[in-house]
Amino acid sequence: MRKNAAIISKLDWPLFVTFCLLIVFGMATVYSVAFNEEQPNIFDLSEKYGKQILWIGISFFIGFLIFLIDANIYQRVALPVYLIVLASLVIVLFMPPINGARAWLGVGSLGVQPAEFAKIATALLLSKYISELIVKSQTIKTVLSACLILLLPAILVALQPDAGTLIVFSSFLFVMYREGLTFDPIVLSVLNFIPGMKFKSTWLGSHFIPVLFIFLFLCIITLLLSNVHFHLWFFTNKLFSGSTGIVLILGLVSVIILLFIRRISIKRDRSKVVLVVVLGFIIIASITLFIESGFSSLAKHQKDRIELFLGLKEDPDGRDYNRNRAMAAVGSGGAFGKGYKEASVSSVESNHVPESETDFIFCPFAEEWGFAGSLFLVFLYLFMLMRIIFIAERQRSSFNRVYSYCVAMILFYHFAINIGMNIGFAPVIGIPLPFFSYGGSSILSFCIMMFILLKLDSQRIDVL
Amino acid sequence: MNLENRKYIIVFFILAVGVIYLIKLFYMQIIDDTWVLRAQEIAEKRKEILPPRAVVFDRNGRKIVSNKTYYNLMFIESNIKKLDTVAFAKLLQITPLQVRERFNEIKLGEGVYFNKSSGKKTSNYQKKRAYPFLKELTLDEITNIALHLDNFPGFYEEVTSMRSYPYSNGANILGYLNEATRKEIDEDRFYKAGSNIGRSGIERFYEKELRGRKGIRYIVTSAMNNAIESYANGKYDTIAKQAPGLTLGMDITLQAYGELLMQNKKGCIVAIEPQSGDILTMVSAPYFNPNLLVGRRNISLNYPKLVKDLDKPLFPRPLQAEYPPGSIFKLVQSLIALQEGVITESSGFSCNKSVVGCHNHPNASGVSQAVQYSCNPYFYAVVRKIIQQNKKRNNYQDAEIGLTIWHRYMTSFGLGKKLDTDVFGQRPGLIPDSKYYDRLYGHNQWGFSTIRSISIGQGEIKLTPLQMANIAAIIANKGWYIEPHFVKSIGDKGPLPAYLKKHKTLVDAKNFIPVIEGMRRVVNEPGGTGSAARLKEIIVCGKTGTVQNSQGKDHSVFIAFAPMENPKIAVAVFIENAGAGGTWAAPIANLIIEKYLLSKISDLNKEKMVVDAILSNYTKK
Repeated sequence: MRKNAAIISKLDWPLFVTFCLLIVFGMATVYSVAFNEEQPNIFDLSEKYGKQILWIGISFFIGFLIFLIDANIYQRVALPVYLIVLASLVIVLFMPPINGARAWLGVGSLGVQPAEFAKIATALLLSKYISELIVKSQTIKTVLSACLILLLPAILVALQPDAGTLIVFSSFLFVMYREGLTFDPIVLSVLNFIPGMKFKSTWLGSHFIPVLFIFLFLCIITLLLSNVHFHLWFFTNKLFSGSTGIVLILGLVSVIILLFIRRISIKRDRSKVVLVVVLGFIIIASITLFIESGFSSLAKHQKDRIELFLGLKEDPDGRDYNRNRAMAAVGSGGAFGKGYKEASVSSVESNHVPESETDFIFCPFAEEWGFAGSLFLVFLYLFMLMRIIFIAERQRSSFNRVYSYCVAMILFYHFAINIGMNIGFAPVIGIPLPFFSYGGSSILSFCIMMFILLKLDSQRIDVL
Repeated sequence: MNLENRKYIIVFFILAVGVIYLIKLFYMQIIDDTWVLRAQEIAEKRKEILPPRAVVFDRNGRKIVSNKTYYNLMFIESNIKKLDTVAFAKLLQITPLQVRERFNEIKLGEGVYFNKSSGKKTSNYQKKRAYPFLKELTLDEITNIALHLDNFPGFYEEVTSMRSYPYSNGANILGYLNEATRKEIDEDRFYKAGSNIGRSGIERFYEKELRGRKGIRYIVTSAMNNAIESYANGKYDTIAKQAPGLTLGMDITLQAYGELLMQNKKGCIVAIEPQSGDILTMVSAPYFNPNLLVGRRNISLNYPKLVKDLDKPLFPRPLQAEYPPGSIFKLVQSLIALQEGVITESSGFSCNKSVVGCHNHPNASGVSQAVQYSCNPYFYAVVRKIIQQNKKRNNYQDAEIGLTIWHRYMTSFGLGKKLDTDVFGQRPGLIPDSKYYDRLYGHNQWGFSTIRSISIGQGEIKLTPLQMANIAAIIANKGWYIEPHFVKSIGDKGPLPAYLKKHKTLVDAKNFIPVIEGMRRVVNEPGGTGSAARLKEIIVCGKTGTVQNSQGKDHSVFIAFAPMENPKIAVAVFIENAGAGGTWAAPIANLIIEKYLLSKISDLNKEKMVVDAILSNYTKK
């Protein structure tokens, strides 16, 4: 009894409640979407909701077991678990394909997808590896070893093929970044190879990951604006492209910063700020114009594909079918939605949105609850992510911290890509919405991931 | 480097994505309507159900306009999959070429608009919209086609209703329906491609009252385009509601009888119930069967023929033909003169044929006699007294004052202006005022002698037959009228307020007495010009007119009301190029009055003579 009481008092309740709320809303949405009038019992195991409840039950039972086991076990079992998962990922490649992918291990309807568990295994092994490193001495070897831990399962997943999970594996790069395991050693070895160069660290190498993502973001914005043309009032005859607009606006902002430089910086830093602003402007402007010219020199079918992906071109009943239907479902929800079980576009029986109970489960939810529901759900996820990062930062053991970051980044990727593809911001790649989508493997793996995190956190004081 | 600060970069990424997603969600779900429309397009099929148009009854409750069920073969291009044109053409019993032509015809018929955003001309035609491929198929025709429609996805049948006229009379009153134009569809969302809209007559004037309320059913459809269920359990569905029937003041049997009398003639009969202003009959001859203009197929076949017909059957003479009224105008002149006090009822003027031609009759010693003899010189003298009242020394200025007074009286009789009523497409006629003559002759350049032909209803004066009938009604009512109108009641609501309002003329009731006495004499005394209108049982009061015109033989005119006490009917008959008013117009008026008041015809010879008379080149088709 005393031990139970200790668990309850040490459990991170905000995170646990958020987690449970997501499970409950997910379950309700699955029940609404997959509802079968002939089998209205939510526990009916022949229907998807019954199965989902069964999986949630199993997950919480395993969660209970996790809380009974000492948290120190994970560091010890990380490598064996990782190897078992790798083995199963290899075995799965020899299984008969279901829906074009060899992803399922098991018999009949109760199969599991090892790819879902590969994320946990990788997170555990990466945490173990990083926690045993002395960060100051990061070398090419340590960086490449860490990368190898990600790459092995990533490659096996890619062979299934499962593009969604493959992309999720890149989330570990952020964790490595947070832990200082950057690509700097590689950049340095190349740079210092040049005679006369002797750098201790480079800014680009250290911040390679966020810079890469900002660069990708800039690419997308540029391409989105590539079809936009505008007139300038003093050049009435000439059309300017969207990227020229970005450059002009950036230039304007730079000029304004330089004009008011006295106000915003102390004298000592002034020349530095001028340099940063000017250099920053030149770099971003040239990148933008480079992307623009690169894009316009692409072959037509390549351009088509990119434009389709970005939503610049419409093919609502063809290649763009899924996304178009999904957006129609979400967008038609209005402010307060059509009401529970009243979804007209994304219900399974109307079948306009395929996979509306798994990868596109955000559609029926947003259609039924409208913007109010979307706002609530996005806030729940953001709160959960912030809470996990908060938890990560309060850990004494670096294993715990790295593992928490892994969980945060995996969840963030799933959240961003899944909801993104429902609102036209991300390509349609099938990955589930954590705790929400129907599917035994995804529910089980996300729950186990969450329970391990909660268990590690509850025992953070013990670890030293 | 402090690694802990890197958490802020990660937090920034997460929050940035969250905020961007929320902005996008806010835009998609609340601001932008596109997706709502898209979702409707995809899943919530709005099915519009058009009620049949309201039924129209005559004053005795006979159904004169009703509806018949027909079927349209509709299609939605985006749902058509691999159309086997040959098999389809065979099913419709047309050639494959005609199938392709019909598709093109529909696309072209929708027209193009200028799309400002793309700067291109874009067709109004939309692949996702339903268009009728074939219209107005009978039950037999659609049954054959419907059996095989499963082989042609994208095509479906739709029930529609079209007008049907159990009596083939009153086409000019009832009007007809035609497909709504692109402009009408854009202006009023009630209509869509292929909808019918009232084109003329009552169908046009009462379009909104007749069309009813559209029903809308929302159905949720699946990706396979099957209806799954009614949307939100039918919460938003509305039931198509037929509008309440219209009851006309028209008497369909009288209308039919009028048309029979007017066969092979050009002209009109207008009969009004004086107390209520109800139009009992309005015959425009030559006339046509309203069933000729029902539906697209009939219209495309018959409309060009009717337009090309030299006798202009589509021209609604009673309200659009503006004729000089001739001698019937003398009635109004005497009323004005009596009211102005320029004559008394016993004023006598000699029949001075040197002023204007007249026939042989004793000198009239009073207004009644002058009306009875229709003495032209008498009315020259009377109207001279109205126009030249010696209020100004200058003869021309005096005439201007006189004409202005006279014009005011005329306007109070509803002349020279459109009546404010449901008779669609009226012309105003013409009652010249001083400005009109100033334009014609110059200011202060005209006096009575310049304009004297207006005295006997010739010259510039123009009246529509409807206005002529209204004059008869005014005299029957001794000084007031209700706007002559077709519709007695919409549903059970009874007369519209506008049709209860009495319009007073500027002439007092007592001044009507000598004029009415004159009209009695016209019909009932020896020497009267309208003896052909005499009835044994009932005193008919009337006035003939013989209108000289440049197009040939005189027009024959007669206006009358009966009985003399408590008049029940006021009639105007106008027969183009038929000769003297007493010869043709008076007997026709007589038959109409007898038919209406006594529901019988005493003088069958007279009826036969009228019916058989061929007074135009027109032959009944």
